[in-house]
Amino acid sequence: MADATAAVCNLAILEALSGDAVQEISESYVGFCAATESLLSGIGDLSAGSEMARHVHRLCKHQLHSLVREHFLTSLEENFERNGAVKFWQHFEPYRDISISEVDRSHACDDQIQEVLCKALEEISLENQYQKKCLLVLVDALQTYKDQVLPAKCGAVTKKEFLLSKYQLMISSVLMASLPRHFPEILRWYFKERLEELSATMAGESTDHFYSQENDEMDVDGNNRMPSESSRMDIDGGLHGDFSENKLIKNIGKVVCDLRGIGFISMAEDAYASAIFLLLKAKVNDLAGDDFRSSVLDSIKEWIQAVPLHFLHALLSFLGDSFSYERSSDIKSPLASRPLSCYPGSDNLSEGLVRWQLRLEYFAYETLQDLRIGKLFEIIVDYPESTPAIEDLKQCLEYTGQHSKLVESFISALRYRLLTAGASTNDILHQYVSTIKALRTIDPAGIFLEAVGEPIREYLRGRKDTIKCIVTMLTDGTGGNPNGTGNASDSLLEELNREEENQENGAVEDNFNTDDKQAWIAAACWEPDPVEADPLKGSRSHRKVDILGMIVGIIGSKDQLVNEYRVMLAEKLLNKSDYDIDSEIRTLELLKIHFGESSMQKCEIMLNDLIDSKRTNSNIKATIGQASQTSTVSEDSGNSLDILDATIISSNFWPPIQEEVFNLPGPVDQLLSDYSRRYTEIKTPRKLQWKKNLGIVKLELQFEDREVHFMVAPVHAAIIMQFQEQKSWNSKKLAAVMGLPIDVLNRKINFWIIKGIIAETMDQEGEGHIYTLLEGSGDSTKNGGDGGSCEELLAVDDEGEGSVASVEDQLRKEMTIYEKFIMGMLTNFGSMALDRIHNTLKMFCVADPTYDKSLQQLQSFLSGLVSEERLDFKDGVYYLKK
Amino acid sequence: MATVNGHTEDRYQGNTPAAAPTPKQPIPTAKSVDTQSVLKRLQSELMALMMSGDSGISAFPEEENIFCWKGTITGSKDTVFEGTEYKLSLSFPNDYPFKPPKVKFETACFHPNVDVYGNICLDILQDKWSSAYDVRTILLSIQSLLGEPNTSSPLNTQAAQLWSNQDEYRKMVEKLYKSPST
Repeated sequence: MADATAAVCNLAILEALSGDAVQEISESYVGFCAATESLLSGIGDLSAGSEMARHVHRLCKHQLHSLVREHFLTSLEENFERNGAVKFWQHFEPYRDISISEVDRSHACDDQIQEVLCKALEEISLENQYQKKCLLVLVDALQTYKDQVLPAKCGAVTKKEFLLSKYQLMISSVLMASLPRHFPEILRWYFKERLEELSATMAGESTDHFYSQENDEMDVDGNNRMPSESSRMDIDGGLHGDFSENKLIKNIGKVVCDLRGIGFISMAEDAYASAIFLLLKAKVNDLAGDDFRSSVLDSIKEWIQAVPLHFLHALLSFLGDSFSYERSSDIKSPLASRPLSCYPGSDNLSEGLVRWQLRLEYFAYETLQDLRIGKLFEIIVDYPESTPAIEDLKQCLEYTGQHSKLVESFISALRYRLLTAGASTNDILHQYVSTIKALRTIDPAGIFLEAVGEPIREYLRGRKDTIKCIVTMLTDGTGGNPNGTGNASDSLLEELNREEENQENGAVEDNFNTDDKQAWIAAACWEPDPVEADPLKGSRSHRKVDILGMIVGIIGSKDQLVNEYRVMLAEKLLNKSDYDIDSEIRTLELLKIHFGESSMQKCEIMLNDLIDSKRTNSNIKATIGQASQTSTVSEDSGNSLDILDATIISSNFWPPIQEEVFNLPGPVDQLLSDYSRRYTEIKTPRKLQWKKNLGIVKLELQFEDREVHFMVAPVHAAIIMQFQEQKSWNSKKLAAVMGLPIDVLNRKINFWIIKGIIAETMDQEGEGHIYTLLEGSGDSTKNGGDGGSCEELLAVDDEGEGSVASVEDQLRKEMTIYEKFIMGMLTNFGSMALDRIHNTLKMFCVADPTYDKSLQQLQSFLSGLVSEERLDFKDGVYYLKK
Repeated sequence: MATVNGHTEDRYQGNTPAAAPTPKQPIPTAKSVDTQSVLKRLQSELMALMMSGDSGISAFPEEENIFCWKGTITGSKDTVFEGTEYKLSLSFPNDYPFKPPKVKFETACFHPNVDVYGNICLDILQDKWSSAYDVRTILLSIQSLLGEPNTSSPLNTQAAQLWSNQDEYRKMVEKLYKSPST
């Protein structure tokens, strides 16, 4: 090919050639070829150079420059292919099967590979350099000829550079063409090992480094002329560290240099970049781990500064880097929170290094973000403690902007781990609250929260006890967790408080004295909504993250929530023995702020009832003194009105109260009627109607050898009082005296049996049980030893039934009116779908009790009827059960 | 006699399916000021009917129109209609309750006072109407009419003639009866 081009070029002068000239050319050419051969084969010996120069001159005379160049390069290539490349690759042949992922590679093997790599690179570099020298000989020869012919021309430099770059290209193409597949792996692995080694040295050294710095400062500041012993030692240590580190970097630098020499620039860069990233990833994983209680971002950044950047800095400066054309100390990384002046010579930090830093930090952010997102569920479970991890994640997301990744992964984690039948409603709610709080940190505008919260809300709507749990959380300091494990921060009560404070602050802000400056500040603080925001959901101002609002949003209407709260409040108030309702008043005031005065009106009346009761009660007590002379009540029973406190309620405003009829023991009944008589005297024409099953009784049981104190429901007290006179009762008789159905009595008396006060035996003569009072302490300690200690127990009824009808019961009661309508329409229309029933009820039940139930309420009622086998539900429509 | 019988029977069989597409009562437009009071009256009648809990009678307004009701009557015990269920349509005039509603059988009913189109011959639905009657009393009257027909002025002469033979009549009812729910 070379000859062909030469021939084409010289076509014009071919005719002018004489026979002698042709003779001369062919002779010189043969001589030139031989000289080239001997030059290339002669190792380290350039003696053939002068011989070759002569031939070159002669050929050049006939304008055959290009022929000379082409031939020489071709010979170089062939020679390199034969001697350099093949040998070079042969070094790596034994490691063909080694893959980088092999974990259990022995250390010996590591060293071996390192050695082989260095040796091979050295060899090929030598070869390369020698060939370069040969090339220079040729260049020289061409130059000297040119100088003779055209003394004043100056194209030499370009010619030389051209030839050299051509040669470089040729070499790397030869190597690349025969590149074995495992070589990049070997390179990557090499850099990884070296970096790890470096990282280890750095880690050992960094402490020393800080030490010595500190000491240096001390010396300077304190003007201490006498270097302390420790400081000298530290400096020694530091020097040693620097030395070994420098050696290591030099080593790596040499490898990189050699690789560049043979044209493997990008491959080398790829290899050490991937090694650095691998190391960084491992480091992030190592640092972040499963500990969410500390922020790791700073230490990761520090590590990036300390290890990979230090390495790159050293490497680039060792190579006398080509990047360093521009001093870029004023180009600062936007990600670098502090200037990089802590390293010697960092003022001539190259732009390349800044780029590297940006890449590394972005990678670190992304890695950490992925790690944290993967564990977001756990992080939120330990929410208040895991705040540092949340903060880290927030920072990461600010840089990477991959919020959607968070939303997707978190939703799937929720579906898989939280929104399952096994999770208790309380836990779900707590997690929901924690999620709201945590995501509020990450995303103050609440856009991602909306996306994440929706599945939880959806799920909670399907749970029956959601409202109850929410109300308990709202009002209970313990966060409504029955196990008492819920910490105070879960409590929504606290959230109510916060809300109040916010509103107070807000009121101040809304004053009209905002001047222009404040307006300007407000305008400057404005930030656009994230692009993911749903434009339909209104602007930021309306979307303020409001935990209570989001919780109420689960239920749909605040009325239901208020209703449930009322039931709970009633239960609580009825079980109070003193009239201390301070905390309830406070809660109510907070709820009023949130839900409005009017919706809490009934609750307020309930609380007022308690306050009034307290006053009335003390008024009635006050009359005892005057009335006692005229009183017809015999005082011989030993009971005075002092022991009775009444709660007088306006029953219209209270939730329906469960009635339970039973006979109170005579003296107590007497007491009650005396109380009502006095009440009527004060408050004519009002009369008291006792709800005998409500309230609590403080009881002191005296036995022969001990005293036991209890706080029990009136029924329990009434039962045990029957045993005062008669130690043993037949269950039937007792039921008759108590005015209770026998099964109810059996259930209620269980309380005392469990407490070890009463023993149950079967009646010998017939059906029924015999209940006997246990006098001795021996039995009681066996049955329930702690009954003896003066404990206060508020007896909860065995089935947990409250004194107030639950919301579900109320609903059921209210729905019975509509039940007839539903039956009526189904009789006439055969089958109807849920929404048609709903609509028909809405249309025709407008009279007295207007139909105001939601579709969900209707559905649950209908499914109740289905389970009672009064309706059939098939293919989405309801039928009458025939 | 036989020809007459056969004739009516033919008419019956031919007309049973035709009973379904009865011409719908046009929706009365609320033009008088009294519409409100009519609505109220019907509302309260519905309420009363629902709360009364009478067995065997029921009625409910059709969707979106309280002037058109669907009614259901089951045959009383110990009558030939025992165990049957008949659908009715009731359409109320705008000047209800001063005028009676139009009541028709939607299910074919073999009865001396009910014709093949489901029209009912009942005095309180015509000249003896009083505003004191309501849906409930109408339905109760029709229910009792089933067991005690007025054979002296029949719309269905075949039924009137057969009435005296209760066993045969029962067979006829069973033969012609089609459960509205199927």
